[in-house]
Amino acid sequence: MIKYLYTLLVGALVLNSSAFADASASNDDLEKELAYLAAERQVVVTASKMEEHVDKTVATTTVITQDDIAHIGARNLLDVLRLVPGIGITQSQLGIREIEVRGVKTLASEKVQVMLNGHPLDHNLQNAGSTWVYDDLPVDTIKRVEVVRGPGSALYGANAFLAVINIITQNAKDLNGLHTSAGWGSFDTQQYRASWGKQFKNSAEAALHFNFTDTNGIKSPISADSLSVQGLSSAAPGKSQLTEGRYDLEWQLGYQDFKLDGRFINKKTGTFFGVATVLSDGRTQQDYNDYFLRLSRTWKIQDKFTVDTQVFHDSYSADNIWQIAPTQFFRTGFQDTRTGGEIQANYHISDAQTVISGFSYAKEQQDNLIDQLGIDSEHLIPTLPTTEERIRRRWGVYIEDVWDPFKNVRMTLGARYDRYSDFGGTFNPRMGFNWEFIKNYSLKFSYGTAYRAPAFGELGLVNNPVVLGNPMLKPEEVKTFETGIIAHPVAGLTTQATYYHSAINQLISQVSGQTTAFRYDNNGSVVAEGVELETRYDFDGNLQGSYISANHILQHSVQLGQQLADVPRHRTNLIVNWAFDNTWSSFAHVLIKGNTLRNLGDTRNDVPGYALFDMGLLGKNMFGKKVDISFNVYNLFDKRYYDPAPTSLSFIGDYQMPGRAFFGHVSLRF
Amino acid sequence: MKIMDFCKVLILLSVFWVSAGFAQPSKVLIVNSDNTVFRYGTIASEFKKVLQQNAYQWTEFNLNSHADAEAELKQLIQQENPVLIYCIGTKAYSLARNVASNKKLLFSAAINWRRLDIGEGTYGVANELSSAQEISLLRYFFPTIKTIGLLYNDKFSREYVETIKKDASTLGINIINQPINDAQEIGDALNELLPKIDMFWIISDPVVLSSKASVQQIFQAAQQRQKPVYAYSDVFIEQGAVLAISADLATIGRQSASLALMVDKDKVSEGTVQNPAGSTVTLNKCALDALRLNFNQDALDSVNKIVECNK
Repeated sequence: MIKYLYTLLVGALVLNSSAFADASASNDDLEKELAYLAAERQVVVTASKMEEHVDKTVATTTVITQDDIAHIGARNLLDVLRLVPGIGITQSQLGIREIEVRGVKTLASEKVQVMLNGHPLDHNLQNAGSTWVYDDLPVDTIKRVEVVRGPGSALYGANAFLAVINIITQNAKDLNGLHTSAGWGSFDTQQYRASWGKQFKNSAEAALHFNFTDTNGIKSPISADSLSVQGLSSAAPGKSQLTEGRYDLEWQLGYQDFKLDGRFINKKTGTFFGVATVLSDGRTQQDYNDYFLRLSRTWKIQDKFTVDTQVFHDSYSADNIWQIAPTQFFRTGFQDTRTGGEIQANYHISDAQTVISGFSYAKEQQDNLIDQLGIDSEHLIPTLPTTEERIRRRWGVYIEDVWDPFKNVRMTLGARYDRYSDFGGTFNPRMGFNWEFIKNYSLKFSYGTAYRAPAFGELGLVNNPVVLGNPMLKPEEVKTFETGIIAHPVAGLTTQATYYHSAINQLISQVSGQTTAFRYDNNGSVVAEGVELETRYDFDGNLQGSYISANHILQHSVQLGQQLADVPRHRTNLIVNWAFDNTWSSFAHVLIKGNTLRNLGDTRNDVPGYALFDMGLLGKNMFGKKVDISFNVYNLFDKRYYDPAPTSLSFIGDYQMPGRAFFGHVSLRF
Repeated sequence: MKIMDFCKVLILLSVFWVSAGFAQPSKVLIVNSDNTVFRYGTIASEFKKVLQQNAYQWTEFNLNSHADAEAELKQLIQQENPVLIYCIGTKAYSLARNVASNKKLLFSAAINWRRLDIGEGTYGVANELSSAQEISLLRYFFPTIKTIGLLYNDKFSREYVETIKKDASTLGINIINQPINDAQEIGDALNELLPKIDMFWIISDPVVLSSKASVQQIFQAAQQRQKPVYAYSDVFIEQGAVLAISADLATIGRQSASLALMVDKDKVSEGTVQNPAGSTVTLNKCALDALRLNFNQDALDSVNKIVECNK
């Protein structure tokens, strides 16, 4: 009876009976099984644990995906960034646009580190910052933009001061063929792109991107300049001359564990109105060439221990002709290079703990200076140099430990020491935790410091009648702590609230000079604090692909007891993306910006706040999933609004920004 | 004039909206953790055969082929609007759960499914056989066995081991379980465990079975102490396991497809996770003889494969 019952039991279990076999599973089968177990194991111990999920990081992070970018109908990188909480975009007199982060902004945005595929782009050593060529980076080839607000020097070193923006572009696997796109819009703007990528059977892969952009610029009315207000001959009143043409070529080549990547950019542009507060008649031209080349390899020493190595060469050159009066031209130029290498060890101590540590070295050099003056741009003669040839060497060591002592707790502890040949050393720690105290509710806290290295222009500006450099400058320093809660109260809904407090010291600013009006010095401090509120709800079911999101920031940045000028106290983004079906979706965005105050002594009224309404329509994967089409309207209600002109340019008036603008875009995949 | 411009824009947008309407038929989205892994690939292949027989459409998304899988999967779900997402392996399920928590999800080949974040509208076919049935069979084969030992990693197998202990207790078998944090602890753990047990049970724990060396270490230690090894898969028979009861991969694929069809027709209750329906029992008579281990001869009727010694 017992035998019968067990036979029944086995019968129930063994439904798929096979014939008796003489041999058992082979060794090959064991390997297959171990491969399966290894794949299952990856879910907890990922190959690169440092690629943390946004919810688990201690830093305040926003990720904008390729899909988001398509919905936004972005024309360039800054169209993407302006939707990120805590970030604002404004116009500068030179033409480049300023990235305001957490209530602090400067002309060259040198306190923000922009990276392309993890490689820093602050190649302009004379003036620092990355916006000189990257502010209008085309977005067609971007896969993802990661924005980490807060100090990042403990890992990334110099200039990761207020935020780190990492742009990830499509690789061979993403492309797998030929992609082309074209866009046309207001201001005679045209963009073209061609990308090709392929993975070969011999573990080689290649991705190439080419972009071309051309525009006549926004043609903002300029009512006066420094000549016209004195009654002298001038192009004012007139219009801004922000014409631009740029070429981008990017490559990513891989073979086995080696990778060679880089990007070349040539950008020729006019100016908003100019360097000497004089409106150009169209003959000011800025000409930039920027590239980097990086060779990297990952060495797998053990399953748990890998080493990343890289050598790189960055180059940035400027050759600019500035019109500083109707018959006076000034040509400046220089070439900056940075050559160096980095080695980083990644050790997964256990499933719950990963340590990375590394060493980097770089030599930075500035030469090929050009300084010329003349009555027209074709007849210039050499004049006294306004900056110096310079060499700087720097090295840094860093270590970071990411540890999950419990399933619901992540702790991060890291520090970096950098040593510069010109101003000495700087030490920057970072620590924080992320605690999921209730399921789907996490509390974050972090503290970190960062530094911004003095630029060559700030150290060595010479023969300038207005401002002189100071070789004794120390780096700017910031100490930031932030805390926040991230929650998923119901499926599809993400909300986040963050409070931050940053104390910036040793600001490099222009102070009164003895032989000139100004000289650079470490002078002053700023305290910036604020609250960032974000929420997003992704619909499901028939509305899959639709979402609504909003972010609102309240910020208060104070210097010498006064609210910083030219930055708003609050800013709000409201976004709705509505997917009608699998193909068509519509996007709407409202940006509400508060008033911006003036400096003490600037008698102008505050720059009024405004609300802008953008709208777009996107059709994806049409005609056999090979065609995407989008059409976007910016500033749909043609609102007249202004970005603030600084107090020093108060006689010019604020910068009028564009009215209603259109942009259409077609993308083809082969 | 401005209001006229605005109206023009609205008309233009309306034209686009009206032209919208190229909805595609519903289909199943198969998300595979890694289609180069034999187990995942086999299950996927069988799953698709059943779908084809039932005139269902499907789209496949292999995580190993996409660098930014999360974003691309999200986009694909939006495009395809599948009635159900079939996730093969834990990685696929975790990702799908993240990006499409409100979609109906069906999983298989996920080790210890009880550790997964299971929500409403989730169904599955377990990777492991019913431990109660396995222990019943073990007792049927080896009536004298009273104590069974196993190694496991808490993060991957805690819930499964708890189920085993509970089922074993009901059937009068004592389970001694020894947790390890990584494979380097296997030697010490076995030294401690083997003297206390009558049989060692290899469960599908990815930390314990992290390499061939770990497998060899287990079998060498068991052989030295003359302890029989029971395994969840017949791939361990050649290493020296005396008995293996393996879940059949092809059946898991077909079973998952049948479940998917029932889910689509709302014929199955939410949260259903089925045990694998098919299995193979392999007996290593050579290893049994070497250990001079008595077993119930009547149980031979239940065996699918018998491995004799090579002569």
